[in-house]
Amino acid sequence: MRSLSRHLTTVAALAMAAGLVAALTAPPDQLQGNLQRLMYVHVPAAWLAYFSFAITFGASAGWLWKRTVRLDRLAAASAEVGVFFTGLTIVLGSVWGKPVWGVWWTWDPRLVTTALMFFVYLGYLALRRATADPTVRARRAAVFGVLAFAQVPVVHMSVIWWRALHQPPTVLKPGDPSIDHWMLAVLMLNVLAFTAVYAVLLRSRIRLAADEDAFEAAQDAATNDLAGAAVTAPDYGRKAGHGV
Amino acid sequence: MSPPRAGAPGPLEQALEITRKDLRLEARAGEALLVTAPFGAVALLLVPLAVGTDVPLLRSVGSGMYWVVVLLFGVLVTFRQSGVDAPPQVELLRLTGIHPAVQLLGRAGANAVLLLAFELAVLPVAVIVYDPPLHGWPWLLPVLPGVAIGLAVLGTLAGALTQGLAGRTTLGPLLVVPLALPLLLAATQSTEATRYGRTPWNWLALLALVDLVAALAVVLSARSLEEGS
Repeated sequence: MRSLSRHLTTVAALAMAAGLVAALTAPPDQLQGNLQRLMYVHVPAAWLAYFSFAITFGASAGWLWKRTVRLDRLAAASAEVGVFFTGLTIVLGSVWGKPVWGVWWTWDPRLVTTALMFFVYLGYLALRRATADPTVRARRAAVFGVLAFAQVPVVHMSVIWWRALHQPPTVLKPGDPSIDHWMLAVLMLNVLAFTAVYAVLLRSRIRLAADEDAFEAAQDAATNDLAGAAVTAPDYGRKAGHGV
Repeated sequence: MSPPRAGAPGPLEQALEITRKDLRLEARAGEALLVTAPFGAVALLLVPLAVGTDVPLLRSVGSGMYWVVVLLFGVLVTFRQSGVDAPPQVELLRLTGIHPAVQLLGRAGANAVLLLAFELAVLPVAVIVYDPPLHGWPWLLPVLPGVAIGLAVLGTLAGALTQGLAGRTTLGPLLVVPLALPLLLAATQSTEATRYGRTPWNWLALLALVDLVAALAVVLSARSLEEGS
């Protein structure tokens, strides 16, 4: 297991390096030039955010069914990583938007719904932090983790339901992707690299959660008095010693 | 849940009784209408001072500001102190054998009534301060209760999720407000549609859909939430 873990980190690092090289050597966009290269980070981050929240949804539904602590840890870890990727998506989109659209932020439905998705899952994490009892926390977070996922299809479909500034889907749509095939290959390589990074982050966070649980259990065991501890047992041996 | 005995109140009567209980508590406390509604009115007064007292600008943003205040302060109504049950009350309700979904829907009913009252209390302030165009006002008749019901159900659900938590009054709104965006959109776009002479059926359908989905979420998650409390 430990060797597999080392390999996963190495694979993620190599994939990220390959993705970076491919993104820098891919042909520039005819209109946007090198600015378009941000797409190789922005789009994978957005897709991984969707994926993370889908895992949270599945693990939350699974927890409500099976009630296993591993599913709760998986849901929480994936939500944390998803929030990170959503934040990255918003920031990178903003960095790209300033030179191309002329503004850091615009009232485009895709931007607004993505920001709301970010806050919905921040709420999920806040709910987890606010609940001390592990079982209550898992149950409430599982219910909210299922409900919160309703936001994800709204974000994806926002560019179709409300045609505004943000471009409609070019890959995740029926039919041939409306993107140059070389660029598509580079994009897919970066999606793979981001997926590997997601797996590394997810695994690290799950391990940390397990360690936190073990630490809390050890603390509880150390501080909790045993039943009957208030009653002092008579020390016959010492009395006998005094008597001698 | 065991089948009710002959003569025992049905789920609807139980829910109505819980609604009545919550409204009676609120009548004693007067928190929603005597505290939160004036606070919402103050917010409506402050906005023009912040953005400038340009009358045409205020006329155009007045309707939107009203709905933002309804959304943000309405969440406070659903999280009012009198809506918080002490642990013995929760235990007692549980022992009565009332299904958790009925309990939550009863509370949502009370919240919806209070929110509607809140909307009606703040509406004249928005009309006086902002002087928004009032043609198409009859469409408010379905929109006001539609928003009240949706927000009440979402607020009740968030209340159940945060029951007993120290930061429930701040955490609850964080959970509700982003999910209530479709309500805000439906309310503001209905007003906008009537301003341009269109009938806002699509937005009313969205409002009804959100209300229905939220109620369904309450019914489906109620049992799990009761176990977790």
